Amino acid sequence: MKLSRLRIVLPAAISCGAVLFAAGCDNSVHLTEVLPPLDAVSLDANAGTWRMILLTAPTQFAVAAPAATNSAAYVAELSAIKSAQANLTGAQRQAIAYWSGGGVLRWNQIVRGLVARYNLPPAPAVDGTYPVPSPENPFGDPSFPFANPAYAARAYSYVSTAQADALKSAWYWKYQYSRPSPAKVDNGISALMPVSDLPSYPSEDAVLSGVTVEMLKVLFPAAVEEITLKAAEQRNAALWSGKASASDIAAGLALGKSVATVFLARASTDGMGTAGGSTALWKSLADAAIARGEIPWVSQESPARPPMLAGFGQVKAWMLTPAQIITERPAPPPSTSSAQMAQELAEVKQTVDHLTRDQLAIANKWNDGAGTYAPPGHWNDITAEYVRDARMSEVRAARVFALLNMAMQDAAVGCWESKFFYFNPRPSQLDPTIKTPIGLPNFPSFSSGHSTFSAAATVVLSYLFPAGAENFAAMRDEAAISRLYGGIHYRSDIEGGKAHGARIGAYTVQFAQQDLAN
Amino acid sequence: MFLPRPLLLLVFAAVSLRAQAPDDGLMMQRKTLSTGVMYMHDSWNEYWEGGLKRSNGNIGTVTTQSVTWVGHFGLTDRVSLVGELPYVWTHASQGPLHGLSGVQDIAIALKYRLLNTAFTEGGTLSAIVVGAVGIPASNYNPDFLPLSIGSASRRASGRFTLHFESKADWFIDGSAAHTWRNNVNLDRAAYFTNGQLYLTNQVAMPDVFDWKVSTGFRKKRVFIPVSISQQRTLGGGDIRRQDMPFVSNRMNFTKAEASLMYGLTVPTDLAVQIGAGRILSGRNVGQSTTITAGVFHTFHF
Repeated sequence: MKLSRLRIVLPAAISCGAVLFAAGCDNSVHLTEVLPPLDAVSLDANAGTWRMILLTAPTQFAVAAPAATNSAAYVAELSAIKSAQANLTGAQRQAIAYWSGGGVLRWNQIVRGLVARYNLPPAPAVDGTYPVPSPENPFGDPSFPFANPAYAARAYSYVSTAQADALKSAWYWKYQYSRPSPAKVDNGISALMPVSDLPSYPSEDAVLSGVTVEMLKVLFPAAVEEITLKAAEQRNAALWSGKASASDIAAGLALGKSVATVFLARASTDGMGTAGGSTALWKSLADAAIARGEIPWVSQESPARPPMLAGFGQVKAWMLTPAQIITERPAPPPSTSSAQMAQELAEVKQTVDHLTRDQLAIANKWNDGAGTYAPPGHWNDITAEYVRDARMSEVRAARVFALLNMAMQDAAVGCWESKFFYFNPRPSQLDPTIKTPIGLPNFPSFSSGHSTFSAAATVVLSYLFPAGAENFAAMRDEAAISRLYGGIHYRSDIEGGKAHGARIGAYTVQFAQQDLAN
Repeated sequence: MFLPRPLLLLVFAAVSLRAQAPDDGLMMQRKTLSTGVMYMHDSWNEYWEGGLKRSNGNIGTVTTQSVTWVGHFGLTDRVSLVGELPYVWTHASQGPLHGLSGVQDIAIALKYRLLNTAFTEGGTLSAIVVGAVGIPASNYNPDFLPLSIGSASRRASGRFTLHFESKADWFIDGSAAHTWRNNVNLDRAAYFTNGQLYLTNQVAMPDVFDWKVSTGFRKKRVFIPVSISQQRTLGGGDIRRQDMPFVSNRMNFTKAEASLMYGLTVPTDLAVQIGAGRILSGRNVGQSTTITAGVFHTFHF
């Protein structure tokens, strides 16, 4: 009796257990950066007067006057929108929903994805050398670029600044011509995105698509196909949603592309081409450290890898002159033979050998190493949620990211200048018994890049979002100390980097205080 | 910096290398408990980065060791319960990376013999179904492959095994299982895998299918199975060129194993086991060689 009952009950119990468990297996993931349709709290009608970053004036690229809203050409454009709206596919509606989250925020997400994809160091060749990624052969192995933290900082800054100037110019022309959006002109056209009283000629979505695609084609050339498709989708979404007409879009696209030429011209001569350094440079840096009586940095990769972007400290900054980069350089770290260095080294060893799970979680949270959107991407991620919650107009959102990313590019330049000037060894070089719970960056130690980036970002974000200042500071401190928990930085790297980053960020705040957007 | 590693192995190796495991054809007698500890030593110096086999000077040889408590209790002659709990530690022979250690996942399986019939004059055929769950038993870090001790995913699996035992003391069995895995939470807010940036700390874990065919010799004191098995992860991305492995990677392998279990005469009820295994081919895993040793005691209630 007992046995026969078991025979029936147990298989049922087994399969139910499995099924119940599987039902609890949630295979979808919940994204944290969800973008609701952008309904900006302000039109920022005066944005055409905001101070430019590189453009000489909002009128540097002229936008011809649009046809009148009662002209035959424009009426035909309206009919085209109506027929498009009458036949929208599911995919088209999805595109509208996606881009209604805001073009600046969407492109920021896309660029972070590109950085993560290309943030991989080249694999060594059979002979133990490392091939150099080449913009002339972006699809090769290695692919171009290696979007390491410094490359990423520069890339984020070019996309953001070009978008900001392009949108300021667009705003100027919008209010010059004051042509309403199709959904406002013709009540036969539905507003499938929030449509405001913002004049729609030239279309801000098309401006963004044009300027961004031109910048990204140069920064991430191997991704040209998907970037181009995304940009086209953004323009189509603007049209399908009743937000912009064909001529709004054509004018915006042309303006965006024109503005990009100014930023691309700067990018082609900003020193990035030679930032990789040379065998002679790497040797001279080591020799200089030895001449100062210090132990020089040595790559701990196997085979030894040349240091990451040894000449990045000479790349053009946004707010600091080359002379200011040098005057803001941190005071020297403790000598590698000093008692203080011995004490700091012991602190690193003690920390990694007794790491708590909470400390490891902090090291992981801020690791932002290979295959991620890099530390500047992390601060863009943080900023995106503030921008979204503040429901900023596209032009104000672009300004925020431009300010943030200029400060972080300047932080990258200043930090790399310091790293390669001092050429200081990592803790695990001085004490090989120090093993790191996160990856070890392949460049000199002083000062901490995370600390510098985070402090520069915190200064700028605290100016832009004063209510978040406490939170930014807490994140800055956590990001900075995470490198001690990771066993890859001494305390003096962290303290020096934080102070340095704050000084650098202050230059951008000074610009922001005078850009007429407040 | 990057490092490589593969090894979902961990999750599965611990349950696949011994006699009286969820995937063999053996049952415990009613009110009999076999319990013991297994030691495992698994190491590799080459791994598959996607389809590309390579070595990596930044890790050298990666060694994973574990000590696992195992218990197998016969509730009835046809229902038995298997439990196990491993302590795992990892080490890289080269480079600066820190090994990890800790209690991995507690696994519990219920084996039910559906059928046990004189199939031919030559032997008997049995069919067994197994339901198993695995739950991380500590808050370990799954985001440092190849040095993480496991995938930190809750999982459930259903397995079906056919076992033929001849009167001439040889046997053959075939077993296949499907495993569902819960999302894994990372310490970080975003990650990139399978061609996409995910703005979340949650990782969807693909299902896993595995099968195993074993044959060998079994007499009263001696059990010698030889097997070939395969694991197929039903989704997930490849390790990218020069990237670190990721917890949801498509980890596949084909593995050959052999072991010997011997019941001692003095003292009775004590058995020792040794085993060895080798990955023959794989994707996003290390080509590991595994040796195991265990000692078990049987209690009759």
